[in-house]
Amino acid sequence: MVNAAPRRKPKWLTPWNVVMFIVFAWILLAWLIFPIANLLKTVFLSDGSFSLEPFQKLLKSKRAMKALGNSFILAPTLSVSVGIVGISLVLITEYFDIKGSAILRLGYMTTLIYGGVTLVSGYKFIYGSSGILTTALRGVFPDMNIKWFEGYWAVLFVMTFSCTSNHMIFLRNAMRSVDFQTVEAARNMGASQAYILFRVVLPVLLPSLFAVTILTFITGLCAMSAPLLVGGTGFQTINPMIKQFAETNNSKDLAAILSLVLGLASMLLLFIMTQVEKRGHYMSVSKVKTRIVKQKIHNPVVNVLVHLYAYILFVIYLLPVVLIVLFSFTDSKHIALRQLDFSAFSLDNYVALLKNSANYRPFLVSIVYSGLAALIVGLLVVVACRFIQKNRHSVGGNILEYGLMIPWLLPTTLIALSLMLAFNVQRWYMFNQVLTGTLLILLIGYIIIKMPFTMRMTKAAFFSLDDALEDASRNLGGGELYTFRRVIFPVLLPTIMAIAALNFNGLLTDYDMSAFLYHPLNPTLGVTIKKLTDDMGDPNGMAMTFVYAVLMMIISAVVLYLVYGRGGRDNMKE
Amino acid sequence: MIYLNDIEVRFGDFTALKDINIHVKEGEFYTFLGPSGCGKTTTLRTITGFIEPAKGTVKVKGKDITHVPVEKRNIGMVFQNYALFPTMSVYENIAFGLKVKKVNKTDIDRRVKEMAGKVDLTEQQLMRKVAELSGGQQQRVAIARALVTNPEIICLDEPLSNLDAKLRVQLREELKEMQAKFGITTVYVTHDQEEALTLSDCIAVFNKGFIEQIGTPDEIYSASKTEFVCNFIGDINKLNANFTREIGAQTGKGVDAGKNAYVRLERIHVNSTRTDGRAVFKGKVAGSEYFGLYIKYQLDVNGQVLKCIDKNDGRQYLRKGEEVEVSIDPRDLMVY
Repeated sequence: MVNAAPRRKPKWLTPWNVVMFIVFAWILLAWLIFPIANLLKTVFLSDGSFSLEPFQKLLKSKRAMKALGNSFILAPTLSVSVGIVGISLVLITEYFDIKGSAILRLGYMTTLIYGGVTLVSGYKFIYGSSGILTTALRGVFPDMNIKWFEGYWAVLFVMTFSCTSNHMIFLRNAMRSVDFQTVEAARNMGASQAYILFRVVLPVLLPSLFAVTILTFITGLCAMSAPLLVGGTGFQTINPMIKQFAETNNSKDLAAILSLVLGLASMLLLFIMTQVEKRGHYMSVSKVKTRIVKQKIHNPVVNVLVHLYAYILFVIYLLPVVLIVLFSFTDSKHIALRQLDFSAFSLDNYVALLKNSANYRPFLVSIVYSGLAALIVGLLVVVACRFIQKNRHSVGGNILEYGLMIPWLLPTTLIALSLMLAFNVQRWYMFNQVLTGTLLILLIGYIIIKMPFTMRMTKAAFFSLDDALEDASRNLGGGELYTFRRVIFPVLLPTIMAIAALNFNGLLTDYDMSAFLYHPLNPTLGVTIKKLTDDMGDPNGMAMTFVYAVLMMIISAVVLYLVYGRGGRDNMKE
Repeated sequence: MIYLNDIEVRFGDFTALKDINIHVKEGEFYTFLGPSGCGKTTTLRTITGFIEPAKGTVKVKGKDITHVPVEKRNIGMVFQNYALFPTMSVYENIAFGLKVKKVNKTDIDRRVKEMAGKVDLTEQQLMRKVAELSGGQQQRVAIARALVTNPEIICLDEPLSNLDAKLRVQLREELKEMQAKFGITTVYVTHDQEEALTLSDCIAVFNKGFIEQIGTPDEIYSASKTEFVCNFIGDINKLNANFTREIGAQTGKGVDAGKNAYVRLERIHVNSTRTDGRAVFKGKVAGSEYFGLYIKYQLDVNGQVLKCIDKNDGRQYLRKGEEVEVSIDPRDLMVY
């Protein structure tokens, strides 16, 4: 019942709500706030009194300063390169009439099923010092530098083609929502194709473009797998450096301070992004909106050049995927020689995965971790969102909502490091258990980093729910719990499942968090792939990496199909 | 049956309803009519229990239910968008309230099928998902769901507002038939005056959180108590002071020219043979609108624009510029 009478006491202070609030307060304080406070203490109060010495140490550390500099070079240049490629992909697939655009789109979308450390290992297999292309080129140019694909340009190249997923989801969506009547109106008034593109179409995409550019900038700052695998000694960035410093006892304060710098930079950028988001998107004012009709490029030369460019991009995107799939069926001899021989094709690598526990263990570990984390975070956030929905505008509701969004502001490395440093001793708020080095700590890390995304999506689902459904149930006599169980939850279930599936997908090949928190006897898939990729000389290890990658792609593709495809179009809008 | 006494509803500093006093008789079709934001839905939700008033009481059959929770009131409700549960079949939707009340399965089955029959839903339709039904069928499911638990009252919150014009008229008729069939006390919210006039036994006209007038459809239409009601219900002509004065002068009936005078369109007589007791004017046809069933004319009478209607009986209708004789009975004037 909406109480329209003047309120005497906060309505949310019911016994059930108070218990729930205490549980969430413990989760946020023990798993997030206290560990970060401990991290700050490590930096500024290491010897019991306030000191800026770690800053001086940072300034004196050439490696750390170089890494900082590299990150701030990589982030803006990556934003530009990803912006150019990302906009191209959207124009090719959604705006211009390009022959074979459906196939091209599939190629460009491979980053959705194949990312992180797996993707970088794929590029390294082609372009690395012992990669297919390098081996082939050495046959022609024996004196060439086999480490040509290393350093800044290699990192930039790999990341440019691995960071366009946001463009393919959000920017493409924005392009699809352009009202074609505005294009027709411009043409009717005599505007040229280029003029329409730059003055009518692209301005509509600007808010989305700005948001994805900021996300790319943050990805550049937080780069981990690419600098580690193809950066070489000459181009290391903040995150790999944090990992290295965290592994040595007397440099932990440096790791902490670097992660704080990263955190502050991310917060600043996300603040800018939310300001832009507040300005909103351009809303179509058309009464009857029409779908965009693909534009033929009238100039034949430009048309050929654009087609050529589209297919070159397609090859760059698809080559690692195709080669990984093909090489996953071949034997170690051919992998070592980087040669494809279809007569040597077999399922032996896949059988080896199933037969050897050392091979399938990382796979199982990642599946269990990702599944558990997706399930727990899903349940926690559903309960939290119900509380927020029922207590909107209340103090408790607001605290919970903003609390669960905190991890959004913090880089994964910062959270991982703070957990690692906080839980390596007994803490009263964790019931005096030492968690560092246990199986539990990574699960906690996974749950924390997935909270904001789950929160945003679940809350949107809750708030898009028609209030009348709940009113109807109550009007028919349904109590609060009954209404939630029989009416609200079944309506939300497909969305909740979709969010859990996306979380599962995202965690499956995680490297950034697990690199800090994995259990030594139970390494995750990301950690295993990274180790195997470090040593490209071991063909058996590489074969297993390919098998992992193929299975990952299949799982990701199935999950994405269920969420966004035919089965789930109504559950989750892009 | 239902008594709302001195109801006041506040949302923070905003007073949404003030001094609402309503008496709905048993078996009556009672309509809350008014523009958007006037408080009609708030009043309905106060009856159903979704809103608790800051002041006043809600009584049903003499029992004070002001603080009784929604689920304990035994008042059925049909929502604006029907609020059918999308994950359930038609059968499950209708059975929902019975399941909550822990009625045994055999009885649920019997009552659901019985109710489905009464609202013309077939057994096949019962097994369908609600999204597979047409707008009209969905409305019948919503009504069946609201009625199957045998509520004392049914409240309907603009249930026809999302439908196209033709279906709206058809369902309006069905609704009236069903209400007559079930004989249940009905409280209906609408902003559509035609709906209110055709369906209701009694109408309360709301404006800015107050009730302007309560009465039968004819009282509301023909004897509007306030200027707001007079303007809100139906189309109307506002007369200027000179014109009002001339009517008074011609008929000898005292009409206060200082007040606002109105006359309904159908009370303007054009080229009538009977003019006794009426004021008569010469005028010209300034324009016309064709509505099929009737034609609406705009007449220019000494600078006063008058709208009037004439039924379309196949005769040649009036042309623009044509001279006409207009007569008005001073008893038809509504003065405020």
